[in-house]
Amino acid sequence: MKTAFALIKRNVKLFFKDKGMFFTALITPAILLVLYATFLGNVYRDSFTANLPSELTLSETLIDGLVAAQLISSILAVSCVTVAFCSNFLMVQDKANGTVKDLRISPVRSSVLSLSYYIATLLSTLLICFVAAGICLGYVAAVGWYLSVADVCFLLLDIFLLSLFGTALSSIINYFLSTQGQISAVGTVISAGYGFICGAYMPISSFGEGLQKVISFLPGTYGTSLIRNHSMRGVLEALEAEGVPDAAMKGLCDALDCNLYFFDHAVTQPMMFLILVASIVILVGLYVLLNCRRAKR
Amino acid sequence: MKNIIEIDGLHKRFGEVHAVDDLSFRVKEGELFAFLGVNGAGKSTTINIMCGQLTKDSGSIVIDGNDLDRDIAGIKRGLGVVFQNSVLDAALSVRDNLESRAALYGIVGNAFSKRLSELSALLDFNDLLNRAVGKLSGGQRRRIDIARALLHKPRILILDEPTTGLDPQTRRTLWDVIAALRKSENMTVFLTTHYMEEAADADYVVILDSGKIAAQGTPLELKNAYTGDFITLYGVDEDAVRSLGTDYEILRDAYRLSVPNTAAATELILAHSQIFVDYEITKGKMDDVFLAVTGKTLGEPLTKDEGGARG
Repeated sequence: MKTAFALIKRNVKLFFKDKGMFFTALITPAILLVLYATFLGNVYRDSFTANLPSELTLSETLIDGLVAAQLISSILAVSCVTVAFCSNFLMVQDKANGTVKDLRISPVRSSVLSLSYYIATLLSTLLICFVAAGICLGYVAAVGWYLSVADVCFLLLDIFLLSLFGTALSSIINYFLSTQGQISAVGTVISAGYGFICGAYMPISSFGEGLQKVISFLPGTYGTSLIRNHSMRGVLEALEAEGVPDAAMKGLCDALDCNLYFFDHAVTQPMMFLILVASIVILVGLYVLLNCRRAKR
Repeated sequence: MKNIIEIDGLHKRFGEVHAVDDLSFRVKEGELFAFLGVNGAGKSTTINIMCGQLTKDSGSIVIDGNDLDRDIAGIKRGLGVVFQNSVLDAALSVRDNLESRAALYGIVGNAFSKRLSELSALLDFNDLLNRAVGKLSGGQRRRIDIARALLHKPRILILDEPTTGLDPQTRRTLWDVIAALRKSENMTVFLTTHYMEEAADADYVVILDSGKIAAQGTPLELKNAYTGDFITLYGVDEDAVRSLGTDYEILRDAYRLSVPNTAAATELILAHSQIFVDYEITKGKMDDVFLAVTGKTLGEPLTKDEGGARG
C-alpha cells in the first residue's frame, strides 16, 4: 500500500511538473473557450432565438444562461477525457525513456505499477476537472444561474464517472504505445478529435445520420449528454416556464444533445448512467487483463 | 568463496538472432566481475534476463541461492542496477526520486530518511537533495544513479557501463566508492564496460562474442593466454636491438620488444645481459586480449549479421 501511495505521488507530481503534458491536456478546453468567445457563442445564441416563436421574448439572462450552460458542459465533457489521456501519457513516457525498467527491476508487483498509473491519472484528471467545474460554475453564476443543488451534485457525479471512463480508455490505448512519437500522434488526435466526437464543438445532432449512428456506439457520448442534461436542466426548465411550446422544447433538447437516440430509441438518463458505468467496468477489466497477460510473459 | 551467480546453458533468441547462445559462468561472492563484449554481443540481454526484464528460452539462473524460475522477487531484492543511461525522473528532485524508488522496496518514512543520510554521506550529494535531477551534471547524476541502486542494500551491484562519458576525476571517485562498498559490505560487482583499464582491475573476466563466451579467466590468465610480454629497453642503439633478432617497435626514447611470454623475456635478458642494463617487462594489455579473442575492439559497431535485438 505504501509502495502504491509513493508511486501515485510520484506520478501526480510528474504530471504537474511536466509543463508539456499539463498544457497539452488543456489545449482542447482552451480551443473551446476561444471558439465560444470568438463566434460559436453568437452562433448558438442566434440559433436558439431563431427557433423560438416570434411572439415570445426571452430575457438576455436566460439566453446567456443557456449559452453558458452549453459552453461549460462542452468544456467539462472534453476535459474529463483529454486531461485523462495527457496525464496517462506518463505511462508511455516511462517506457520511452527507460524509467519503467528502473521500476520493474524492483520486486514491486506489476499490478501495483499499473494501478498506480490508473489512480494517479484519475486523481490528476479529477483535480483539474473539479477546479475547471468550479470556474465554470462561477462563470455560470455571473452570467445566469439556473442550477439547483441536485443539478450541481449530478454534474460532479458526471465528471467523476466521465473521468473514470477517460482514465480507463486512455490506460488501454496507452498500454500499446511506447515511443515519444506515438505520444505526440495520439495526443494530437485526442486533443483535436475528441471535441468533435463528443459533440463539444458542434452538437452531435448537427452531424449526418450515418455519423450520428456511429457516435451512438461510443459510451463517452452518453457521458457528455449527462453533463449537458445536468448543466442545462435548470435553464431549460426556466425556458419552459417562460412559455416555450413543448415541440420547440423537444427540438431544442434534440439540437443540444440533451436527448440522445440509439437507432431511434430514446436513451433515458438512467440508461446513460448504466452505459457509462458498464463501459468503465469493462474497460478497467480489460486493462487488468492486459496487465495480467504482460505479467505472465 | 561461494558462487553468488550461477548461470548454466542460457539461451535467448530474437527471431533468427541467437542473442545468448549456451552461456554458462559463475560469479563468486564479493568479487569484481567484468562482462565484456562489443555492442550486440549479448551482455545487456543477459543482464536483462538476470533482472527479470526478459524471459529466457532455456537454461538456469541462480542468484544468491534464488532460482530465477521460482523466486524472481527474491532475486530482485538482492540486485541493484546502474543503467547505462540515467533513468531517474529529470523533473523531480533528487530526494523525490530516491523516495519513490525506495518505496519500491518498502523503504519509507524514517527508514528512508536514515538510508538517505547514509547514502548522501557516502556519495557526497547532501547539497544536491533538493535539485532537479535534470539539472545535475553527468557526474552528479551518476552518483545519484548509484545511490538509487544502493537504496535497498543489494548483495550484487550491476554496473552497465557506469563511467561512459564521465571525466577521469568523477570516474575515480565512483570507483573509490565502489571499492569501499565491496570492502565494507562484501558486495559483488557485475560490471560491463568499454574501458579496458577498468576490466584489468577485475577479479574475473568473461568476454562475450556473438552470444557465446569467447574467453574467460582472471586478467592475468587472459593476458598470459592471449597476449605476449613486452620489454621496454632504454639507453641502447638500434643496431644492438636489431642484433637480438626479436620484433621491436621504436618509441621516442626507447625500444619495445615483443616476446611470447615472461619466460622467453627472462631467457633473452640472461642471454644478452650486456644490452639489458635499463629495461622493464610489462604484460600485454586487456585491449590486446580483447582484440586477440574477438578480432574486434570495444565500441566497434556490430555487423549486420550480428544485429537484431541483442543488448
